[in-house]
Amino acid sequence: MTQLDITVHSDHHRLLLLVSGPINSYTFTDFQEKVYKAIAQADTAVDMERVTALSSAGIGVIMTAMEDAETSGHGFAIVNPSEIVKLALDSTGFGASFPLVKTLKQV
Amino acid sequence: MEGERKAGRSVVLDANPSSVLDFESFAEGLDFLSPVERHRVMIAGGEILDNLIREASPMDRRKLRVRVTRRRGSVLLAFYFRSPGFAAFSAGSLEFEPLFDHLDRRWRGLGLLMCRNLARRIAFRPGELLDRIFLEFDRQL
Repeated sequence: MTQLDITVHSDHHRLLLLVSGPINSYTFTDFQEKVYKAIAQADTAVDMERVTALSSAGIGVIMTAMEDAETSGHGFAIVNPSEIVKLALDSTGFGASFPLVKTLKQV
Repeated sequence: MEGERKAGRSVVLDANPSSVLDFESFAEGLDFLSPVERHRVMIAGGEILDNLIREASPMDRRKLRVRVTRRRGSVLLAFYFRSPGFAAFSAGSLEFEPLFDHLDRRWRGLGLLMCRNLARRIAFRPGELLDRIFLEFDRQL
């Protein structure tokens, strides 16, 4: 899969972003735009079960989104990350810092 | 040692930003690697490729070759290319620590940190005729 697809759903004053495909240096700007916009509006959960690649550009977006969420007082979580997403986050050396949950109920 | 069969595969990529997608497709097809090994190659290789295209372009003939081989207890990922800017790029690159660029709201150097944590060894080898980068990964079942 070479295309990044992001759909945004609204659910009880919370936004859920369903992401599928690769988040890399070529595709991350769409991810960045949608995540930052969501965080500014409401609590945000990003479902990454169908993400096929995650580069440092995408991880940088997640790290900035965590800071933005703290500043704006909104919640932020990554739901059900794929194996490659977990490995990429762990490879930064601070994988435990990322807000990972298995299901949307935990958000 | 001849006890284990050596497997390998190569791809020639255009030196442009969209080649990251071609590299990911190539890495997904490396069926002689375990899923974890494929993921490591895809993540670290994508970071190296992205850095090369942004920092060491233009490359001669605007192409680079990537080869992945399994060797005994490890996996080797190699990049072959020729870039006049590579020697300057490679000097000190591996010692670079991540910094947040407030202007672009982007982390710089995070990718190389990930490569250091994913690979057992990384070597930048500028040459007169050919530049090379090697990443060696532990075998992962």
